[in-house]
Amino acid sequence: MSRSRKSASFIPFLPFKSIQSSIFFTFSCLILITVMVISLNSYRLSVDAVETNSQSYVQEIIKQVNSNIQSYIDNMENISMLAMTNKDVKYYISNNSFISKGDRRPYEKRISDLFQAILYSRKDISAIMVFGYNGFSVSDRRITLLNPYTKLENQSWYKEAKSKGGQSVISPPHVQNIIQNEYRWVVSLSRELKSTDGIRGEGIFLVDLNLSIINDICSKINMGKKGYVFIVDNSGNIVYHPQQQLLYSNLRSEPIVKAAGAQSGTSFTVDDDKGKRVYSVQDTNFGWKIVGVAYTDDLIANEGTIRNSILLYAITGILFSLLLSLFLSYRMSKPLRILQRDMKKVERGNFDVRTNIEPINEIGQLGRSFNLMLAQIKNLMEEIIDTQESKRKSELMLLQSQINPHFLYNTLDSIIWMGEQKKHEEVVLMTSALAKLFRASITKDKELVPIRVEVEHITNYLLIQKMRYDEQLEYEIDISPDIMHYKTLKILLQPFVENAIYHGVRNKPEPGKITIRGREQDQVIIFEVEDDGMGMTPEQLEDIWTVHDKQQKTKTTSGIGIGNVNERVKLFFGSMYGIQIQSEPEEGTTVTIIIPKIKE
Amino acid sequence: MRIQRATLLMTIIFIASVVYIILYFKLFIPTPEQEHNITVILKEHNIRSDFWQTVSAGAEAAAKESGVNITINGPLQETDIDAQIRLLEEVLEQKPQAVVIAPINDDRVTAEMEKIQEAKIPLVIIDTPVSQNSAPALVSNDHFTAGMQAGKVTLEQTKDSPKSVIISDFVNSGVSAEREKGVRKALLPFSQSVYGTYYNSDSEERAYIIAKTIMREHNDLNAIIALNESAALGAAKAIKDANKTGLIKLISFDTSVYEIRLLEEGTLNATVVQQPFNIGYLGVQTVLDLLDGKKVKPVTYTNSIVVTKENMYSPENQKLLFPFIDK
Repeated sequence: MSRSRKSASFIPFLPFKSIQSSIFFTFSCLILITVMVISLNSYRLSVDAVETNSQSYVQEIIKQVNSNIQSYIDNMENISMLAMTNKDVKYYISNNSFISKGDRRPYEKRISDLFQAILYSRKDISAIMVFGYNGFSVSDRRITLLNPYTKLENQSWYKEAKSKGGQSVISPPHVQNIIQNEYRWVVSLSRELKSTDGIRGEGIFLVDLNLSIINDICSKINMGKKGYVFIVDNSGNIVYHPQQQLLYSNLRSEPIVKAAGAQSGTSFTVDDDKGKRVYSVQDTNFGWKIVGVAYTDDLIANEGTIRNSILLYAITGILFSLLLSLFLSYRMSKPLRILQRDMKKVERGNFDVRTNIEPINEIGQLGRSFNLMLAQIKNLMEEIIDTQESKRKSELMLLQSQINPHFLYNTLDSIIWMGEQKKHEEVVLMTSALAKLFRASITKDKELVPIRVEVEHITNYLLIQKMRYDEQLEYEIDISPDIMHYKTLKILLQPFVENAIYHGVRNKPEPGKITIRGREQDQVIIFEVEDDGMGMTPEQLEDIWTVHDKQQKTKTTSGIGIGNVNERVKLFFGSMYGIQIQSEPEEGTTVTIIIPKIKE
Repeated sequence: MRIQRATLLMTIIFIASVVYIILYFKLFIPTPEQEHNITVILKEHNIRSDFWQTVSAGAEAAAKESGVNITINGPLQETDIDAQIRLLEEVLEQKPQAVVIAPINDDRVTAEMEKIQEAKIPLVIIDTPVSQNSAPALVSNDHFTAGMQAGKVTLEQTKDSPKSVIISDFVNSGVSAEREKGVRKALLPFSQSVYGTYYNSDSEERAYIIAKTIMREHNDLNAIIALNESAALGAAKAIKDANKTGLIKLISFDTSVYEIRLLEEGTLNATVVQQPFNIGYLGVQTVLDLLDGKKVKPVTYTNSIVVTKENMYSPENQKLLFPFIDK
């Protein structure tokens, strides 16, 4: 854990302790950036596309308007050509002298009829007139009453046509007041009529186009709710504008200079307090520029919708992918967390843990390696325990098999003494018993011996002791014959009998008795070594066990300690088996040894 | 485990598609933009009235420019007070978002307007000011300045020695009173410049008689200032009858075909013309500003233009005198 600060995160710049948060954070950043870039880009692209579309749409409309107006102007041009080539007109205005009004009349009638015929077929034309320099004039009306207060020479269409010498002139829209009591908004086409030789000018021809035609064309086009069309001439004068009054009184402004200077077929954008709008300019071939004005928010009515929808999509996308990345990072880091949890268990000492990681990827393999490693560690540890146990067993074995030297001296002393007494039989008996005792302790090949053998051994031992202590010691061996064939640890009972003699019976003034019993009970075999000797106080009893806890070397007086025997039993048969001691001072001690039934 | 994961993924995909579909339909049914509805009530809504038709054209222009819906209404005659009150009552029921009104000068109309104000509907008055406590914003021609302009033209025409009379319609006409004040202010520095003000009760006949009488009474009379059309037409007739065309300068206000003819022939020397298109336009603009929560000027004046025979066919004045292309 001390290194956790150093290795806080697996990517240095991510301040997260868990892989899940790191993955989640990285994913989220990636998703956020990607979604934002894509959304912004698609928004920009779609708006651009819509804008380009609408611009070309406006251009298209303006072209239509242009060709419409153009066709009307062309028509006027054609009418003027008709008049120019008409012989009656030529004659009427030529510099001849009609004798009387009656002479003029047929001409006037014929010309008037011609003009009327044209006018019938063309509703857009409001008047056709010819003004001869000779002072005569004729129109499409039967009787032409000119406005007495209007001077022909002052009319701009008249002056212009005269100065242009035969070329047709298109006037800006104006109120035609040349005819009495008629005030009509018109666009006039006028041209000077030449004499037959084509040199002298002889009169002015006038065709008036109803301005309402142009007004209709311009006002009926649909360029969004607020879009409109206006017309300027080359010198930047307004020819037509739906809000001409406002322009004249400066309540509105229009980038007329810019529009007049713009190339035909081009567009430019103006963005002011009236809103962003696109001006598309088209030239006509008679000197007008038709300008279409379209408000972008009108044409791109759904710009807001585009923005909102992209925004919403982006947000939904982000939310969804965040959830997904949360889920994915959880899934990805889950095996790691399982591994971590299992490792923690091992840390706490449980080597039986087996980690189970589903996917067979790197982490799965890691888990499998971990399992293998754990198994090996467990094996090694078991091996170590086994080694330790067997080492201890052999140690204890060694200890057990050693015959207490005091016992040996005493026995030998007794033999010598008996020899001196010439008690040969006793000598033989004791020596043979001692020999058997020795043989039993020397045979190292088997740890476990049948109870029969053990009983023999203890009988031999007690025989020797009986001969030594004589009247002082009584003993009884009561082993159930049913258990004789079961196995027991070698030299299991001797230490307790030894203790019973040395600590219990020997120090007693009157003779003592040692009873050894053996019986089976359920699945265990119970041995009891009972004496009626001195007994032990609880303190002393405690002492027996504590002595055992200390190092073996400190006490050697009684050969091997009770504790060691207990340990040996437990080592061999398991912890549920062992030794119990019950003791009353002045009453005696009973040692109970419990071992499992082990068949031959 | 496998099944679990699959279910989880399926659930996520399902939720995602549900969200997607909901959004798809929500977003692509275009939510109708909040549209403004404006009602304009004129004094007179009648194709014969060039003035009011031009006002309404101006109002429509402003509405189109801002992309709002506009309803234009008005009585057929300027004198039909009941009709205008009815219209105002309808407005109160329909509750448009804003109202522009050219009120007929009547207490009942004023009361209706107050009701509209109480209903918190933005209100703008055009053309005719009303005497009201919390008067709404006004867009009107500056009649006083127009009168001054008429006075100045009179001075020009009479070479700074005006001997004039003023023919007005009614004593209590607000517009005429303002015009008269302006005229008198312009002529004040010149002694004996105005012989008096006469009222023709909007009758051409009476104006003719008045003009005739004055001409007889004042030999040195050199200018008649007619504050309205009927006065101008009557006076013109009198001048023509007395063969004094050009000698007695006739200055008038507003425009009509008759006045244009008089202007062309020279009987009428100048007329001071309002810009009704601008009144309509600015009226709607002002009410839109109110709707947007902007501060508006309590009074917005539009200018008048002096039209004489010489400049009557200039591009600007043509538009004023002949506002409609289709006629």
